[in-house]
Amino acid sequence: MNSSNNSSIFSEKLKTVIEKELTRYETKRSAILPICHAIQDECGWVQEKHIDALEKEYSLNRIQVKEVLTFYKAYKQSEPKKFEIEFCDNIVCCMMGAKDAMAKIEELIEKQGVNSEFGLKGVPCLGVCDQAPAMLVNKDRHHKITNENVEKVLSRYSSTI
Amino acid sequence: MGNTSDKIKIITKYEGMPNSRSLDTYLSKGGYEGLKKSFSMQPAQIIEEVKASGLRGRGGAGFPTGLKWSFVPQNIQGPKYLICNNDEGEPGTFKDRYIAELSPHMIVEGMIIAAKAIGACKGYIYTRYEFFEEIKWLEAAIQEAYKAGFLGKNILGSGFDFDLDHYTGAGAYICGEETGLISSLEGKKGQPKLKPPFPAVSGYLGRPTVVNNTETFAAVPWIMINGAAAHKAIGTEKSAGTKLFSISGAIKRPGVYELPLGYSFERFLNDDCGGMIEGRSLKACIPGGASAPILTPEELKGLTMDYEAIAAKGSMLGSGAVMIIDDRMSMVELMKVIADFYHHESCGQCTPCREGTGWLANIMGGIYHKEGQKGDVDKLWTVAKAMEGRTICALSDAAAMPTKAITKKFGDELRAFIERGAGA
Repeated sequence: MNSSNNSSIFSEKLKTVIEKELTRYETKRSAILPICHAIQDECGWVQEKHIDALEKEYSLNRIQVKEVLTFYKAYKQSEPKKFEIEFCDNIVCCMMGAKDAMAKIEELIEKQGVNSEFGLKGVPCLGVCDQAPAMLVNKDRHHKITNENVEKVLSRYSSTI
Repeated sequence: MGNTSDKIKIITKYEGMPNSRSLDTYLSKGGYEGLKKSFSMQPAQIIEEVKASGLRGRGGAGFPTGLKWSFVPQNIQGPKYLICNNDEGEPGTFKDRYIAELSPHMIVEGMIIAAKAIGACKGYIYTRYEFFEEIKWLEAAIQEAYKAGFLGKNILGSGFDFDLDHYTGAGAYICGEETGLISSLEGKKGQPKLKPPFPAVSGYLGRPTVVNNTETFAAVPWIMINGAAAHKAIGTEKSAGTKLFSISGAIKRPGVYELPLGYSFERFLNDDCGGMIEGRSLKACIPGGASAPILTPEELKGLTMDYEAIAAKGSMLGSGAVMIIDDRMSMVELMKVIADFYHHESCGQCTPCREGTGWLANIMGGIYHKEGQKGDVDKLWTVAKAMEGRTICALSDAAAMPTKAITKKFGDELRAFIERGAGA
C-alpha cells in the first residue's frame, strides 16, 4: 500500500520490462496487454497478487487489467501445467486427423500418469493449415502431428512419456 | 482470365533465397527502391497511383486500397496512424505468416510508403499472439530498418518522420476486424465499434487511422517501382494483381501460392497442388476462409480465382484461404467445427451474434452427439437467417454464411445423419 518500493513482487527483469512498456505507447493503457504477456511468460500466469501490484506500483487500473485478462484467451486463468498442449481442432486439422492425435495424447498422459505435467486443450486455427495437424507445446509449434508420431514429439518434453 | 503473365512474383519474389528475411537480401533485389520512388512523389500522387493500380484489400473484404487511403483527411492537425493487420486468424489462412517468414521488410517498406501517402507519424504491426517466431522476425526487420535510416526522423533526408512498432495480440479472432483491432491496440477488450465514423476519420485514440492487411502493404512497393499500369495489367479487369492463396486440406502439395487473380481453380488444384491425396476425392471446397460459403464440385467447374467469379457462385474470395474437403470429411463434423469456432470467438457485444452462434453450436452439438431432432437442419437455417446484417461487425454474418451454404447444399447428409443417430 505505502511506497516500500523495494518489496516488489516483480523481479528486476520484469520491472525493467514493465517500465519500458508503460512509456512505449501513446497511452499507458496500451501497455496492459504486453505487460500481462511478460508477467505470464515469467510467472506462468497473471495472478491477483500481480494485479494488486500493478495497481499499487504502477497505478494500472485493476478493472482495466481484468478486462484484458478475461477477454483474451492467451491469458491463463489458473496455474498452468509444466507443458500446456494446445491442439488446433479447426477445419483442416480435423480433416487431417487432429481428433485421433488428441485422443492419443490423452491416452498417453493417462497411461504414463503425467497428468500433473501435461495439459491438453483444443484451440482455434493456429495458421499453419498446410502443416496440419498442428499443435503448440508451450511456445513450440509442431507440425503434421498424428497419432503415430505424437509420442515421439512429446517424449522430448518428458522422459516419462 | 485476361493475362498470360503466369506466376509473376510480386510478394513471393524472395522465395528460395537464403536469408530472405535479412535486409541485405532484401536490398539485393530492389528492396526499398519503391520507398525511394515514393519519396519523389507527392502524397496525393502516391494515393492516385495505388488507386489506379486496382489494388484491393487482401484481408478479406477486398476494398480498394487507394480509396481507403484517400478517406484520411490530408490537412488536419495532430497525429495520424497506420496499422498493419497481421492478426491472421481466419481458419484456413496462413499467407501473412508466410510473408513475415519470407520478407518482413516488404511489409515494413509498404507501410512506410503508405505512411507517407496518408501523412501518418506512427505505425503498428499487430500480429496474433501465436506467431511467436514470426513476431521476432518482424521486430528484427523493424530494428534493421531503423538502423538503415528507413524509419525514424528525416527518413532518407526527406524531412519525413515515421516511427514503427510491433504489438502482439492475445488470442482473439475478433481483433482481425479493424475496429476490434484498434480497441485492442488501445489496451481494451477487442470489441468492434459501429461505423461510421470509419477509422480513416476516427480510429486509434480517436485519430485518423488506416488499417490494412499485411499482404496489401506487401504489394505496395512493387506498384511504386513498376507503376499502376503494370499492376492493373495483371489479373482481371476488376481483380487486379496477384493474390496469395493459402491452400490446405486433402491435396498433395498444400502451401502458399502466389497466383494472378483470375487463375483457373482446376489448374491450381490439379497442376500446382498436385491434385487430391491418393485415394481421396473432392467433396467440396471452401474458397476463402471459414466464413466463405462452401462450394460443390459442380460449382467449382470452370471457376476462376478472382473476387467477381467466386462471388458469382455465391461465395467469396475472402482472404484467399482455400480448403479442399475430401469425401472422408463428414459435413456434420465440418459444420460443428465452424459453429463451435464462431461461438467461441463471438465477442458477445451484439445479441444476434452472441445468442445466434450459441444456438448454432448447441444444435450442432446435439446432432453430432446423435441427439439431433427432425427439424434441426431447418432450425440452423432459420437461426442463420436471423443473424445476418444485424450486428456491429461481420462476425455474425461470417457464421451465418457458411451455415446457410452447408444446410442448403449438404442438408441431406445432415438429415440422414440425424435419422441414423435417432435410430441408433
